[in-house]
Amino acid sequence: MVESCYIPKDLKEALRIRKETQARPLAGGTDLMVVHRRGTGVVPSFPWPVMIVSRLPQLQGIFTDGNEIVIRSLVTCSEIEKNDDVPYQVRKAASLLGAHSLRNLATIGGNICNASPKGDLPVPLIMMDAKVVLLSATGKRILPLDEFITGPKKTALHSDEILTEIRIPVPTVPYSHIWYRKIGTRKANAISKLSMSAAITFSQERIVTDFRSANGASGPKVARSREVEQILIGTHAREIANKIPEILSAYDAILSPHAMPEYRRSSTRRMLHYFLTKAASEDCERIII
Amino acid sequence: MRQTPIGNPIRRVDAVAKAAGTLKYVADYHFDDMLYAKMVRSAVPRGKILSIDLPDLPTGYYFISHKDIPEGGKNQLQMIKSDYKCFAENEVRFIGETIGLLVGPDRGELEELLSKVDISYETQPYSVTIEEGLECKGGPFVGDDNLFCDFTIDKGDVDKVFKNADRIFEDEIRTGWQEHVHLETNGAVALCEGDKFVIYVSAQCPFYVRKSIAGLINRPYEDVIVRQTATGGAFGGKEHFPDVLAGPLLVATYTIGKPVQLIFDRFEDSAYSVKRHPSRTRFKTAVDDKGNIIAMDIDVVYNAGGYESCSYVVLQRGVFHATGVYNIPNSRVRGRAVATNTFPSDAFRGFGAPQTLFAVETHLNHIADSLHIDPLELKRRHFLKKGDVTVTNGHINENVVLPEMLQQVLDQSGYPEKVRTYEKGSYKGIGISFYNHGGAFTGNGEQMIIKAKVRLKKNRNGTVDLLIGSTEMGQGLQTALIKIVADALQIDPKYVRYPNPDTSKVADSGPTVASRSTMIVGKIAERAALSLKERWNESDELTVEEEYEHPEGFPWDQATFQGDAYIGYGWGACVVEVEVDPLTFEVNTTGIWSSHDVGVAIDELVVHGQVNGGIIQSLGYAAMEKLDFSQKTGFKQVGLSDYIIPTSMDFPSQRCTLVENPYEYGPSGAKGMGELVFNGASAAYVDAVSRAVNRPIYSIPIPPETITELIS
Ligand SMILES: Cc1cc2nc3c(=O)[nH]c(=O)nc-3n(C[C@H](O)[C@H](O)[C@H](O)COP(=O)(O)OP(=O)(O)OC[C@H]3O[C@@H](n4cnc5c(N)ncnc54)[C@H](O)[C@@H]3O)c2cc1C
Repeated sequence: MVESCYIPKDLKEALRIRKETQARPLAGGTDLMVVHRRGTGVVPSFPWPVMIVSRLPQLQGIFTDGNEIVIRSLVTCSEIEKNDDVPYQVRKAASLLGAHSLRNLATIGGNICNASPKGDLPVPLIMMDAKVVLLSATGKRILPLDEFITGPKKTALHSDEILTEIRIPVPTVPYSHIWYRKIGTRKANAISKLSMSAAITFSQERIVTDFRSANGASGPKVARSREVEQILIGTHAREIANKIPEILSAYDAILSPHAMPEYRRSSTRRMLHYFLTKAASEDCERIII
Repeated sequence: MRQTPIGNPIRRVDAVAKAAGTLKYVADYHFDDMLYAKMVRSAVPRGKILSIDLPDLPTGYYFISHKDIPEGGKNQLQMIKSDYKCFAENEVRFIGETIGLLVGPDRGELEELLSKVDISYETQPYSVTIEEGLECKGGPFVGDDNLFCDFTIDKGDVDKVFKNADRIFEDEIRTGWQEHVHLETNGAVALCEGDKFVIYVSAQCPFYVRKSIAGLINRPYEDVIVRQTATGGAFGGKEHFPDVLAGPLLVATYTIGKPVQLIFDRFEDSAYSVKRHPSRTRFKTAVDDKGNIIAMDIDVVYNAGGYESCSYVVLQRGVFHATGVYNIPNSRVRGRAVATNTFPSDAFRGFGAPQTLFAVETHLNHIADSLHIDPLELKRRHFLKKGDVTVTNGHINENVVLPEMLQQVLDQSGYPEKVRTYEKGSYKGIGISFYNHGGAFTGNGEQMIIKAKVRLKKNRNGTVDLLIGSTEMGQGLQTALIKIVADALQIDPKYVRYPNPDTSKVADSGPTVASRSTMIVGKIAERAALSLKERWNESDELTVEEEYEHPEGFPWDQATFQGDAYIGYGWGACVVEVEVDPLTFEVNTTGIWSSHDVGVAIDELVVHGQVNGGIIQSLGYAAMEKLDFSQKTGFKQVGLSDYIIPTSMDFPSQRCTLVENPYEYGPSGAKGMGELVFNGASAAYVDAVSRAVNRPIYSIPIPPETITELIS
């Protein structure tokens, strides 16, 4: 049991402490405090030093930088939920995470670094090709989020690094139709049984120029396959119906057989089928629900 | 005379302290030199304990086990049955069974020590399900058939009627475990006070605790004083289960001589506590050529877990409610409680009635389907009326206002119209259910076993103390009883005090269970208040005591279960409307309407609180509260993120109404209602979902995964 806990006053000090002691950042604490809790009346105990970064000013804020939306790592779910600049699906996912009190504490950085297969925010983020910025006292790395999360509870974070930013590229042509759905164990304060985020873009001639779909709680990490998505690129809207069976079975194959009891598998198929059929029809809303 | 009807709501007497957070719960109690305890529990479902290896205990730390029970003391908790052991000795019957307590000053250190206790077992094959219990998997461990009890009640001549039946319907309906999830987890503190022992405990029945544990240290009941602390929810989970904490604590404090506190965390409270009995109910029902039910042959089995505790009584209630609110001319009901190697099942709001009521409602829906009529048509044809003969060959002695209640829910919900417009399988559905609940103890239990007393004390300053063992656990009893007493005395309720009971100071008004407290204790309190009023000017200080009086003319034979099982019933009707998501099979409940007959409401707001909570709890039971066995932790869905109870987002706001039907033997006409409101919504929900997806449903809970299976 290690008893040291640091409270750095700024990012620079945090990076120094991180380098010297490998202290783990504690942001909202909604994962860390729960995992390391002990019984009634006893404070949690951590097997490594911890530093409370919750208040660091340099890691707060949401802004636009060129064609990217940047969300700093300490931004909470309730801040994301309320911010108009953040893409719809990320806001939606943030708004369905836990309940009010949790969303006021839980950060985007914590949700990503926790790397739970059931975590909600990585799903739309990976669908949108978001990148993460990792800072250390000696340098900076930028990785696609899909590569940063390597497996259940596993990330490519180095022991001297802190996640500082999440960068979401804004597509030059806006998605024509988008979809986000979380199936929780109930309507609030619910861990995902399944979540799915998808988007499709049509050219003026109704040819698919972009299609993407990601699944959460469907395997060791967020499931997404660019090859499967390719099947639809270049297809005319009226041909989509013919390609759905192929898409569905290819998509099915990327979902982990272990984490996917029949319910999740069949719900995924029904949702994808529904989304594509709706999107292919002429007059339909941008946000499909 | 009373200025306003008694039902008019007043602010609950416990409202401010609860809202402000100033109320002290058992975890808030601290005493000088107080030590903490952690439970050492069985890690296997069935086996022999070969050895217990303890880590070196630092000074001031203790391990307490059955070996610490003093001479003459008995290692048993005296619940209704005395089979529940305070500490396992050689054998363990389920995961989580108490083996010992680790006691010491630092809770962090105790956690460490606990992780180092090493117990080795010779494990044995074990049973989990009702079928495994009945088959005596691994060999019987209760008698030679694993049955705690087995009995049958007969009305009319079932066999003869079956021979002449036009059609016979067979069915099997199942319900699962349910966890109470009281907001406050279980907890207690034990200490010595002079030559007596004191237990502070979050509990429904302080006198039960005293009776259950005094024998452990071979002392008379009076030597153990039980003080109920503010209790943050119970639902039956604090009826007998507090004994499982208080017993070992008493032995610990007896041995060590210091105060000892044991508070369960949420994980323990969820994994290692009693549950609602899972059930299997089989029906064989005979219908004549006009579509009327003429006989039912019912076989009820409850999974009682490792010890009997109160299962026999729970089962009786289940059996006596097995034909629901219907007059079935011939019936036979067999009930069995089977032992399995799971945590003991015990009291839970409804006490055995919800399982069979769900079963009979669902069974009737299946029959109606086969007869191609709306379930409502079949059900209303058989509604019980005053004078009808019950399954135990007693009578319904009151006016049954089901038709009026039905009218209310029909008008409000638009049921007839919706049944016409929502096609089966259209993903929209509406369902209906009817239910009742016999108030108070079964038969003559109030007279023969409980013998409740109520004491009122008039103080010099003109205030009145209500000194009884009945407890507030969130249900609003303090408010209700204070209103009854104040009303009879014609004084302002603020002059009546009703402290949490201390068994050395109050009269034993019986356990706070069985929806009996307003109906039975309230009536005695009303009489006591009237007699105090008459004697008011006799003296500055005055104490009056009244006892339960059994109304004449309600025969009951406890040996054969014949006669009036209950003197008065509460009644309910519920309509639930749902929409099923065709993509995910998530169910969205869009309307809940209910009507209840609780006699007369003592406080309409308290009654509405009970209706709202009871119905949501019942919907959770049907929709999401899935609980499976786990070889690791006893139950698989442990803690609040895995054991799913509804949040306020999951169900819409309800419309609930009452039909007033004053009950002759209750205070101001009130009857029991705390359990009634749990008994029926689950069946209405399942009816609605079943119509929405056009599939029969045979068991609960039905989370979306189950609905998917039904459809594919
Ligand atoms: C009641 C409840 C409900 C929940 N519901 C949901 C839900 O619906 N969906 C969902 O996805 N999750 C849910 N969670 C999980 C959790 O709240 C989220 O994962 C949350 O986003 C974590 O953020 P945090 O700031 O609290 O993380 P913390 O607990 O502070 O940290 C989590 C991990 O991330 C690391 N970390 C945090 N910030 C950084 C950083 N800047 N750089 C490097 N490492 C960092 C920490 O060291 C730790 O390993 C729930 C939790 C609870 C208790």
